[in-house]
Amino acid sequence: MDDKTRLAAGLAKQFQGLTYDDKRLAEIAAEVEVLNEAVRKAAAQRLTFDDDPAAFASVLAKEAK
Amino acid sequence: MINDDLALRDLSDVADAIAAGRITSVQATEACLARIAVWQPRTNAFLRLNKEKALEQARAMDKELAAGKRRGPLHGVPMAHKDMYYRAGEISTGGSAIRRNWVAPVTSTALQKLDAAGVVELGFLNMAEFAAGPTGHNVHHGHCRNPWDDKRVTGGSSSGSGASVAARMVYGALGSDTGGSIRLPASACGVVGMKATYGRVSRAGAVARSWTLDHVGPLTRTVRDNARMLAVVAGHDPDDSTTSEKPVPDYEALLEGGVRGLRIGFALPDALVPVDAEIGAAVQAAADALGKLGAIIAPAQMPDFTDLYRAAEVIVKCEAAAMHRPWMEANAPYANQVRTRTDAGYFIPATQYIDALRLRAHFVREFLAQAMHGVDAVLLPAIPFPIPTIEETDVEASGGPATLKMVARFTGLTRPFNTLGLPALSVPCGFDKNGAPIGLQLIGRPFDEALLYRIGHAYQGATEHHKKVPA
Repeated sequence: MDDKTRLAAGLAKQFQGLTYDDKRLAEIAAEVEVLNEAVRKAAAQRLTFDDDPAAFASVLAKEAK
Repeated sequence: MINDDLALRDLSDVADAIAAGRITSVQATEACLARIAVWQPRTNAFLRLNKEKALEQARAMDKELAAGKRRGPLHGVPMAHKDMYYRAGEISTGGSAIRRNWVAPVTSTALQKLDAAGVVELGFLNMAEFAAGPTGHNVHHGHCRNPWDDKRVTGGSSSGSGASVAARMVYGALGSDTGGSIRLPASACGVVGMKATYGRVSRAGAVARSWTLDHVGPLTRTVRDNARMLAVVAGHDPDDSTTSEKPVPDYEALLEGGVRGLRIGFALPDALVPVDAEIGAAVQAAADALGKLGAIIAPAQMPDFTDLYRAAEVIVKCEAAAMHRPWMEANAPYANQVRTRTDAGYFIPATQYIDALRLRAHFVREFLAQAMHGVDAVLLPAIPFPIPTIEETDVEASGGPATLKMVARFTGLTRPFNTLGLPALSVPCGFDKNGAPIGLQLIGRPFDEALLYRIGHAYQGATEHHKKVPA
């Protein structure tokens, strides 16, 4: 079991009350790593302190035809 | 035979014939029921058929019309809907085993609006379990089958909506779209599907897949039918605070503007999955047809869809994990596909979820500035490969990575537009070498559904793909 899978195992058991077998934990860890990295990278390129999730609806309204 | 011919007519045609007294709602309903008797065994599109109730409603609609009361442009038209729109006092399964006998406590806003417009409800339609599946597989209620070839998938998650409209069992159906779930079955079944702008149609009383990515919308045989149906269900709803207060245009009245002078960006983006040559050629032919009608076709500068796709994955997994937690913890009977698509939501940090939400405004601005710079709409494929078989896409036994790969393959060109919340219309544009439909997608600016309908209507006026009926 690698570090990320071990971390996932701990998260599942200690923080979420869920149990998975080792194979599934390894798959989940790999999936989460890809998704996390994508968002972290995109966020680092774009987000500032003042970015608000609600801006999404405002942009749609402002850019409306 | 007369009944069958009536079932083959379009929603708008039938609605207008009912209004004019040329046919009755009962006749239209009986025509659909006759069609269902033949096509339901082949497609498994219906989960529940309410024959007597539908006929009773149709009789009531005819009586009202005879008394001079026409409720609206859908008066007396028979439809059925994805089994996730709540009807108070009636079972609503969400395509699941968990809710096989669950009775809804409220009626969804979309159904209330269709009721007020005089729609006759034939029943509720098959769907992917909890709207989580792009193919039409359902291990609990049986897979939905494509009317063009019952070995092939319908697309999902609004599988029954696509199949029932394509097989002419109903004139229109509600679907829902979190990553392509209206556009995929529309494309795979050869019908029209609209995912309108986020906030255009109320989600109240509909099963959620992801609150911030879900879109409610219609599937129909023609663009005109779709415009008519969207106009009925769209609009602000106090029960869904994310709905817009922008007035709903009369989409049907705006259909006839033509495309002359419109600038349409064309793209065959190699996103998470390349576009098959056969599909690319069909969408290119659609672009050429629009060009012949006077549109100016220009290459669209598409962004890398990977970030848009993965941001949506983060959002949908986190939201689905939260809403399904009690059942997941209780080891409730989910399909493997649904469970494995949800698991990661328990492990993604909340900061990443929030950042994915915060990114959406940036993504919209970037898309409008780049892909839609100087163009009125963007044209691209909906499903970038020929429609596969049910067997080829069955990942139930394969587990997590195979499921994720299959989902990415299907939704690579549709899910980004759920992240963006932009209107997206799927229109049939041909048939592949196996005889299964091919669909194009038109993307517009926020709340510019009317323009997409105008382009789609002009295209259907010049082509015959939508007139073909499964044999």
